[in-house]
Amino acid sequence: MSLKDVEVRSRKTEVLIALAVILATLPIIIGFSLIILSSFSKSMVTNFDPKSFHPTLENWINLFQGKSAAVGGLREDILKYTLNTAIVALGVSLLVTLVGTMSGYAISRMNFRYRKQFLLLILLLHAFPGSVLIVGVYFIYRLIAPLALGSITAFSFFYVIIARAALEIPMATWLMKGFFDLIPWEVEWAALIDGASRFTVWRKVMLPLVKPGIAAILLFGFLAGWQDLIYVRTFLAEKTLATFIEYNLGAPEYAEMPLVAAAATLYLLPTIVFFVTSQQLLLKVSLAGLKR
Amino acid sequence: MGRLKAISKYVVIGIVVVLIIVAAVAIYVMQRPSVGPTSVELTGDFEKDVVEVGKALEANGVSEVTYSVWSGGDPNSVMRVLGIVEAAHRINKIWSDNGVDVRIKVETRYERDPGAIYDEFLSKQPLGQAGDFFVNSYIYISTLAEEGYILDITDYAEKYSDLMDDFYPTILDAMKWRGRLYGLPQDTEARPLYFRKDVAACAGLDLTGLADKVKNGEFTWKDLYNWAKQVKDTGCADWGVIHRKGSAHPDLIQFIYAFGGRLYNPDTGKLVVDKEAIYKWLYVEWKMARDGLIPENMMEWDWGTQIHPTTVNGKTLVFIGGTWHWTEWQTKMYYTDPETGEPRGLKAEEVKNFFYYTLFPAGEPGKDPVTLSQPYAWMISSKAGIKNPNYDALKELYHELAFLILVKASDPDINAIHSIISAHLPVRKASAQLIADENWVNKLKNLEIDLSDDVKNQIKDIVEATVNPINTEFLSNVSYMLEYTHTTPIHPLYPKLAEIFKDAVDMVLRDEKDPAGAVQYIISSVNADPDLAAEVEIVGEIPGGWSYP
Amino acid sequence: MKIKSKGFFTRRTSEALIFILPALILIIIFYILPVVLSIYISFTPLKNWNLDRYLGEIVGFRNYEKFFYMLQHDPIIRNVFLTTIVFITITLAINVLGGLGLALATYFVSEKLSAPFRTLWLLPRMAPIAVYSLVWYYFFHGSEIGTLNSFLMHLGIIKEPISWGHDIIPWGPWSIIIFVNGLVGVSFGMIVFTSAISNIPKELVIAARVDGASNWQISRRIFIPLMKWHILYVTTWQLLSLLTTYAHIFLLVQWGLVSRQYGTTWSLYIYQVAFTGRTDQGLAAAAGVILVIVGGILGYITLRMLGFEKMITRPRGDI
Repeated sequence: MSLKDVEVRSRKTEVLIALAVILATLPIIIGFSLIILSSFSKSMVTNFDPKSFHPTLENWINLFQGKSAAVGGLREDILKYTLNTAIVALGVSLLVTLVGTMSGYAISRMNFRYRKQFLLLILLLHAFPGSVLIVGVYFIYRLIAPLALGSITAFSFFYVIIARAALEIPMATWLMKGFFDLIPWEVEWAALIDGASRFTVWRKVMLPLVKPGIAAILLFGFLAGWQDLIYVRTFLAEKTLATFIEYNLGAPEYAEMPLVAAAATLYLLPTIVFFVTSQQLLLKVSLAGLKR
Repeated sequence: MGRLKAISKYVVIGIVVVLIIVAAVAIYVMQRPSVGPTSVELTGDFEKDVVEVGKALEANGVSEVTYSVWSGGDPNSVMRVLGIVEAAHRINKIWSDNGVDVRIKVETRYERDPGAIYDEFLSKQPLGQAGDFFVNSYIYISTLAEEGYILDITDYAEKYSDLMDDFYPTILDAMKWRGRLYGLPQDTEARPLYFRKDVAACAGLDLTGLADKVKNGEFTWKDLYNWAKQVKDTGCADWGVIHRKGSAHPDLIQFIYAFGGRLYNPDTGKLVVDKEAIYKWLYVEWKMARDGLIPENMMEWDWGTQIHPTTVNGKTLVFIGGTWHWTEWQTKMYYTDPETGEPRGLKAEEVKNFFYYTLFPAGEPGKDPVTLSQPYAWMISSKAGIKNPNYDALKELYHELAFLILVKASDPDINAIHSIISAHLPVRKASAQLIADENWVNKLKNLEIDLSDDVKNQIKDIVEATVNPINTEFLSNVSYMLEYTHTTPIHPLYPKLAEIFKDAVDMVLRDEKDPAGAVQYIISSVNADPDLAAEVEIVGEIPGGWSYP
Repeated sequence: MKIKSKGFFTRRTSEALIFILPALILIIIFYILPVVLSIYISFTPLKNWNLDRYLGEIVGFRNYEKFFYMLQHDPIIRNVFLTTIVFITITLAINVLGGLGLALATYFVSEKLSAPFRTLWLLPRMAPIAVYSLVWYYFFHGSEIGTLNSFLMHLGIIKEPISWGHDIIPWGPWSIIIFVNGLVGVSFGMIVFTSAISNIPKELVIAARVDGASNWQISRRIFIPLMKWHILYVTTWQLLSLLTTYAHIFLLVQWGLVSRQYGTTWSLYIYQVAFTGRTDQGLAAAAGVILVIVGGILGYITLRMLGFEKMITRPRGDI
C-alpha cells in the first residue's frame, strides 16, 4: 500500500526516509548475512576479517545428508524435521486464524454479557509466563493422552497445534476486533435485512473486508508455530528444525558451528518465502481497492 | 432456537456414546492376562539367562521387543547408543542360535547437548515417552533415582558379580545412590593439562620429566605461574593458561581438590563450601588474569573460534582440557594450515608433536595433583519396555531383558571401541587389556572385528579418522591418571552450587570482585537460597597472608 | 422489515456464543485451566515433572516464602530490579514507537523498497531463538571476533576491542538486551500497524494531499487517530510480553556475553532460580503467580490510561 500512483511527492523526503530505514536495518542485515555466509565457510565468519572466510559447500552437503558433524554423530532426517516444523506452523496458523476471526467478529459486532470482561481477561492472561504455564498444559496432556489410542505421534502433533494455537487466540481476537471495528455498521445491516444468516454475513461480507487483518494473523500464527520450542520439546514425539538447531547450539563446545549456521539458514528460507507471498496478497487487496 | 437445542442434545448423546466405547476398548486392551511366565530368575550365566527370558517372552506371544536409547555428547561418542544396538544384535544372534523366535529392535537418539536430552528425559519419562535406556553423566543419577525415573538394578547386578568385579571400583561407586545401584559404567575420562611443546621450547622451558614432577607434587601451580610468566615475557605465546568457559564444573573444580579442599561430606551427605580451598583457587585465577597470563574474559570466549583454535595453533602454553580433545582436534577443523591458510583437523602425529600432558598440578607444595572424571552411566528407565505388548503384565521381563542388554553392552570390545574412537578411558580391566593389544587395535582399524554390519557402517568414518597407534598410545599413557581422580559430589543440588562458582570465577577474572569478595559472594548466594543453604556446610576460613605465586 | 423480536436476547447471545465458542473452549482448556493449575502447583513442592508424587502434597506458602527470602538476600537482586525497570520502559517505547515509525516510513516510500525491508525486520522474529542469540553474541562479542568491535577497529574509531557486555556498566549490558529484544518487538508493532494503515481508505489521504498536507501531518491527523485501538493493543501486549520474556536474553547471559547482574531481568531471574541446576516447578509457579499479579495490575493501568473504556463502544452490529 503506497502512494506511488497518487501524486508526485518530494524525492528528497523519500530518499531521506529510505536512508533512515536502511540505517536502522543495517545491524540485522549484517548479523544475519554473517550467519548465512558462515554456512558456506569452513569456519565461522563473525567479523570483517576476510581471512576467516574459507568457502565450501560441505556444510550444506552434510546437512542434507542428515549429519550433525563432519565426522561422527548419527544421521538425522533433516527433511522430516522441516516437514514437522511446517505441519505445526501451518496447523497453528490456520487454527488461530479461523478461531480468531470468529471471536474477533463477535466481540466487535455483537453485544453480549461479559463482553468487556472477556476481552480484558484474555489480554491479561498474557502476563502469565510460558515456562510456568507449561506444567498445567502438561498435566492436561497426561489426562487426555489415553484418548490417543495407539498413535502417540499423531496425537502429539494434534495436541501441540491446539495448545500452541490457544496461546495466540487472545492476540488474534484483539487484533481482529480492531479490524472489524473499522467497517461501518451499515454494511452488515444491509446484509442481515436481506435475510442472510449471521454466519453468511461473517463469511461472505465481513471476512473479505478485513483481509489485511487476516494476513497478519496468518503470519503471526505461522511464526508462532514455526518458532515454537517449549511446546514442541515437551510434547511432540518428533523433532522439528527448531529443536534440532537448539540442541546443537546448547552444546557449543561440541557443536559444529558452520553446519548449525547452514541449518539456521535453511530454517529461515521458507518463512521468507511465505512472508513475501503473503505480502503479495496484502498488496493485491489494497490495490484492488476496498470499495468504500 | 429449538433446532439448536435438538442438535445439541444429539451431539451430547453422541459424545457420551463415543466416550463409553473408547473407555471399554481401553479397559479391554489393557487387561489381557499373560499366558506364560512373567519373570525369570537370573542366574549370572548370560546365555542361559538371555535364552530363558527370550523363551518367556515367546510363551507370552511376543515376537519383537522395541527399545529406544537416548544419549548425548560429542560427535565421536556414538557408541553410547550404538553399544545398545550392538548388544541387541548379539542377543538376537544368541536367540536365533537357540531357536528362540524373538528379536530386539533398537531406536536411537544421540544429541549434541547431554543437558538438553536430560531435560527432555525428565519431562517425557512420566508420560512414558522417554528413552528406555538413558546414557548420560552420572551426576543425573541422584535426581533420576530420587524421582523413581530409573531402575534400581542392585538385585540384578548381584547375580553378575564377575562383571561387577571387573569394573574399576571408584567408577562403579559413582553409579550408586543411597547405597543402591542405578547404572552400569559406560565410560570415564581424565582431564589432563595440555602443554604446548613448541611454546615451552621457545620460552626455554624444559618439559622432560614434567609429568612425573607433577605426579610427585614437585611441580605445582606456583611453578606454573612462573612458567606462564616466562612464556608471556618472552613473547612466545599470547597466553599462559586458558580453560573452558560457560561452567566451573567440571574442569575448574579440580582447583578445589588440588588445594586439598572438599566438596562433599559423606557423613552428613551434604555439600561443602571449603572457604580456604576456594579462596586459593579464585586467587590463582585472579592473579593470573591481573598479570595477563589468562584472559580476563575467559568465560566469554567462543569455543569454536577462540578456545580451540588458540590451543591448536599454539597461542597458549597450557590448556586445561580433557582426554577426548586429543581426538576431537583431529576430527574438527580448528587448525590453520601454515602453508595453505585453510582450516583443517590435526593429524595424529601433529597432536603428538604439539602436546605434552600431565595431571592437574597440586595447588601448592604439600598438596597432591588431581584429575577429575565424570563417568557416564548406562541407565534403564523405570518404564523400559512400555512400548511393547502387554507391558503391565510383562513389565518384569522387559526390565530383565533391558538389564541383560546392559550387561552385553558392557562387553570389553564395545567399551574398548568407544574408548579409542572418542578418547575416553575404559571402565573395566578387560577393555584396558584390549586397548593395549596391538593386534586387536589393528583389526579394529580395518573393521575386521566381530561387529554387526549396522554398527560398523555407522562408525566407519570415526574409526578411519581416529584409530591409530598414536591415539591408543595416548590412552594407555593417561590411564595412570585414574589413580588420582576425583568425582564431583552425587547430590541433587550440586549443579546449583556449580553455577554459583561459575559466576564467582567470572567476577575475579574481570576484577569485579577480589578473591575474598568473591568467596563472600558465593556464601551470600548459597545462603540466599533456603534449599541450598540447608544442604551446604560452610567450613574453613580465608587464609590470612597467603600469597601467590 | 422482518425483525425477529421473539426471544431476541437469547437468540443474540446464542449467536454470539457460536462465534465465541471455539475460542472459549481453547482458551479455557489450554490457558485458563493451566493458570489455575499453576496457582495450585505453587502450593505444592512439585519438581522434575513428577506430578504423581508431588501433586497431592500441599506445603502451604513455602514456595512463596522461599521466593521472597531469595529476593531479600540474593546479592544481585537490586541490580535485577533496576535492570527490569530500565529494560521494560525503554524497550516498550522502542517497540511501540519503532513499529509505528517503520509502518509509517514504509508507507511513504515506494512499495518495491518497503516490502524487502519489512521482510528483513521479520527476521528477528522468524529466527530460532538460539540462532538469533548467536547473531548478537558474535555481533557484540567483547574480543576481536566481535562484529561491532571489528567494524569500529577497521574504521579506526577504537584501537582495542571493547567488552560491551561487561566493561560498560550498566549501560553496556542494558543496551544490548534492549537492542536484542527491541528488534524482535518492533516487528510486532510494524506488522500490526502496517495492516491497520492498509485498511484506511485511500481517499482520506488523497484528499489531505490535495490540501497540501505533509507526511507528518497525514500521519498525525489521519493515521494515528484511526489506529488508536491498535496502538492500545500493541502497547499493552508488548508491556506484558516484556514482563514475562526471558528467552531472548537467557542465552546471552549463559554464553557470557553480558554481565549476569545487569543482563538479568526479573523473568529471567525467576527462570534461573527455578530451573538452573534443578527443575523446581513449585517455586517457579509461585514466582509466576506473583509476576502475573504485577503484570495484571500494570496491564490494567495501561489500558485505563490509554482509554480502553472509551474504545469499547457498544456494538451496533445487530438489527
